[in-house]
Amino acid sequence: MRVGIAEYRTARGPAVLRASGLGSCLAIVLYDPRRALGGMAHTLLPGGRGQDEVSNPVKFADLAIELMLKDLVGMGAERQALVAKMAGGANMFASDFLSLVDGIGVRSAHSAREILSRLQIPLLGEDIGGNRGRTVEFDLATGHLLVHFARDKTRLCL
Amino acid sequence: MLLDQMPDVQRDALKEVSNIGVGHAATALSKMIGRRIELFVPRVLVTPLADVPACLGGAETLMAGIFLRILGDARGSIMLLFPQASASRLCGILTGCEQELLENQVAVSSLKEVGNILASAYLNALGDLIGKKLLPSVPCFAYDMAGALVDTLLVEVGRKSDLALMVETEFGGEIDSDTSIRGHFFLIPDPETYEAFFSVATGD
Repeated sequence: MRVGIAEYRTARGPAVLRASGLGSCLAIVLYDPRRALGGMAHTLLPGGRGQDEVSNPVKFADLAIELMLKDLVGMGAERQALVAKMAGGANMFASDFLSLVDGIGVRSAHSAREILSRLQIPLLGEDIGGNRGRTVEFDLATGHLLVHFARDKTRLCL
Repeated sequence: MLLDQMPDVQRDALKEVSNIGVGHAATALSKMIGRRIELFVPRVLVTPLADVPACLGGAETLMAGIFLRILGDARGSIMLLFPQASASRLCGILTGCEQELLENQVAVSSLKEVGNILASAYLNALGDLIGKKLLPSVPCFAYDMAGALVDTLLVEVGRKSDLALMVETEFGGEIDSDTSIRGHFFLIPDPETYEAFFSVATGD
């Protein structure tokens, strides 16, 4: 199942959630291992809290996590059993002109970590930053988050 | 203004200014590499953020991207995307030998310079038409998945809007030939300065 920018999807295993071509965007997964129930959010921006006129909260890392959490609990996930993983937040055009887009990916990751810790959801793995694009796949049957790097055809498993 | 209710007159105006701007840019590129460059009809795309990567030929397609910010009286971004083969050919023409992308600083610098020249030509023409001073930032280069490259564009747009406005012009030389160089030129105005880009339509 494809998860586009500013979207989140929830599903019950066996299923694979996929976000392709992540640059500074962040893919965050929440997962209840016992019920093989989980979701993936594909966010664009860091904190949306305190912003006026939020038309689509899923753009924001913190608000997307809260919405997905509510949804998963509604589907029968056990609140205490939920764990999280995330990947993305690269700075694709890192160069001599660093301040151009001020590390937005890293700020998104920071915002996600903050809300996860406030919600007491353990973050079991992350692969954040760098200057390579990522495609991520979350396998609800195993709980593995696979991170593919297209440019050099390598991958890692969180 | 609501983007999904953009009047035709503004769409047409955006197409026209972009056509003229890219015309200047293509002439500059054509002189630089000594080949004819053809322009396709520009497209004005108004799409949800999630659909932008698909408009660029798929989120996972490897592309060489040159990214510049527009500075001055109106703000926005410019992105030039070249498919891998075209980028290598372009480097080959500019530096005299086929270069491995990214592995080679000379190749990257030459592509950045292409971006700089094209964006300057484009912004000069566009600025004249809308009566604004527009300057390109230093160009940045990346070679990666198209989806990952455009995230950078969407950050500015996404702060204010759920829809992205893009003016796309495809250009290429010697169509249907193995040696052609094709690329896409994107203008993505920041939502705060849409009015400035539309002023050519309203005559303000």
